[in-house]
Amino acid sequence: MTNKEKYAQVFIDSFSITVDQLNENLVYQSVQQWDSIGHMGMVAALEEAFDIMMETDDIIDFGSYAKGIEILAKYNVVI
Amino acid sequence: MKITGKENKQWSRLGSRATYGQAILMLAEKSENLMVLSADLGNSSGLDRFKATYPDKFLNIGIAEQNMIGVAAGLAKEGSVVFASSFAPFITMRAAEQVRMNMGYMDLNIKTVAIGSGVSMSFLGNSHFGLEDAAIMRSIPNMTVVSPADCAEIVKTVFAAAEYPHPMYIRLTGAVGFPVVYEDDYDFQIGKAVEIKSGTDVSIVATGSMVYESLEAAKILQEEGISVSVLNMHTIKPLDTKALDILISKGKTIFTIEEHSITGGLGSAVAEYISSIPNSPVVNRIGLPDEFVITAEYRYILEKYGLVGSQIANTIKQKI
Amino acid sequence: MNNNELTLLAKKSRVQLLELAFKSDGPSHLGGGLSMVEIFTVLYGDILNYDIKNPEWEKRDRFILSKGHGVLPFFIALHNAGFISQDVLHTYKKNESDLISHPVMNLELGMESSNGSLGHGLSMAVGISLALKKRNNFESRVFVVMGDGECNEGSVWEASMSAAHFKLDNLIAIVDYNKLQSDGNSETVMDIGLLEKKWESFGWDVISLDGHDIVALNDALSHRGNNMKPRVIVANTTKGKGVSFMENNNTWHHNRLTQTTFEQAIAELNL
Repeated sequence: MTNKEKYAQVFIDSFSITVDQLNENLVYQSVQQWDSIGHMGMVAALEEAFDIMMETDDIIDFGSYAKGIEILAKYNVVI
Repeated sequence: MKITGKENKQWSRLGSRATYGQAILMLAEKSENLMVLSADLGNSSGLDRFKATYPDKFLNIGIAEQNMIGVAAGLAKEGSVVFASSFAPFITMRAAEQVRMNMGYMDLNIKTVAIGSGVSMSFLGNSHFGLEDAAIMRSIPNMTVVSPADCAEIVKTVFAAAEYPHPMYIRLTGAVGFPVVYEDDYDFQIGKAVEIKSGTDVSIVATGSMVYESLEAAKILQEEGISVSVLNMHTIKPLDTKALDILISKGKTIFTIEEHSITGGLGSAVAEYISSIPNSPVVNRIGLPDEFVITAEYRYILEKYGLVGSQIANTIKQKI
Repeated sequence: MNNNELTLLAKKSRVQLLELAFKSDGPSHLGGGLSMVEIFTVLYGDILNYDIKNPEWEKRDRFILSKGHGVLPFFIALHNAGFISQDVLHTYKKNESDLISHPVMNLELGMESSNGSLGHGLSMAVGISLALKKRNNFESRVFVVMGDGECNEGSVWEASMSAAHFKLDNLIAIVDYNKLQSDGNSETVMDIGLLEKKWESFGWDVISLDGHDIVALNDALSHRGNNMKPRVIVANTTKGKGVSFMENNNTWHHNRLTQTTFEQAIAELNL
């Protein structure tokens, strides 16, 4: 799997959404499952998928699908 | 309710409160007459998903704990299985009399869930800590008091509580990253202590967050040739006296460990029972002192009062 | 201080508040703190009689923060007044500090009571007001700040009833009426109904005003009533006031500032 595919799959699995929802409209609380619990679950899944440990500030700032890509770059994960 | 090690790891990550939220959400699927109440701490109790999925089963009473317990009583009386959550001091002290009258005296089927019990509320300070909540709840007749040792046990407690037709106080210790005690599924029954580790030189009886710390202490002591048993007394009332009888017959010094005052909680309950048995071993109570405690990060507070594994190991070594 | 100076101080206080929260490297009750900046600025900048060199001065006014989690503007006001030094201020939310997420009684630092559990402060204020009258201290007044969510608590109404019963005209309550509480919009969580009318029916003098209007606050707080009734100021405020992305956004009830959000907030305030 490419990084992009891995990243996409985490969102699809964590929030029970489809591939066409993966765009700049996908933000925190925009879909039902992306609540505070879903957020923690998604972060944990990303950490496992890319073998990283995210800092608290990054977890908080991770407010959208797009922003997440920016943030992961800090951890040398290029989507 | 079966659990897996993998689920427990995920729940551990979310922490005690969010796990309560997840557990009650799972329970709602099977429970027709479930009602879940909060006193303006729904989001803090991990209940936002529950509120969204089962709005008819959720009631927010606002910042009014006494009313919450009274309302819970009315619902319970009319056939609902009611779970009501808030912070420990607000349930057990602000609403103590409502708890006493409705849950104790009238024996109504209400489960109160104290989130953030012990000192996990860190910088929110003593007004929010649960230092003496188990002591107060234990003193009320008809009350059952349970303190889960990890997130899997929180889930099992919630499911068991739903089937248990008596009032119960569920005391949630730990925070985000509540360490895993149970790596696999196990048999959970209210009132039945679980021997997590066997040992021959020292007997630990622990509850809630201190079960994990006791296991850490036992590991350290093992390396020094001291064999320690760890008994998870998740149900503080009614105490599993049969399990204690076994410890008494071993004759080794007993240490009780709890994230709660040494006055009135698990340690006191164990000491009360054991002191009535002739030729029984000494009981040393480890817990928070009879004081209002410092305010700091959660782990810092535990360390200040000797409640992390390495410190517990030292205390035990000094006393035996 | 005159009203212009107070307005400037309120602006400065907001910046200080955000800096304090950011430095603490953890979550703070930002929303409900920002809604009370003008209230604290006027109280400590002009209204309250106190002596930082003599914190137990008998003729001082007493202030109780019953809405205990509103410490951010409280600590800033106490700092600007001279009770809390810069060094002590920086101990906010450090391990074993005197400055935590709720007030801990410490007269030296200007805190009359310990709070955190809601619905307690007004009762204590009633007790203090009674004691002052008994001692023929007719100068000192007692001020209590509460939240509107806090008014869900029955104990508030017990205290309210007793204050009118005892004719405590030296007691002034201020309700930070920002219409939000932990779980969201107050009307949805537990509708308090007509808040002003409730206080009025309990026998209080009620003044309703814009809680960010320094002139109105100063006016309402300076006037001494002479009709043997306690007074309540229902201050209509905005939770998160001053920072556009925090205003009426309940995710800022208790949250932490990241570098990004801190910079955005400060940039807005410095315009």
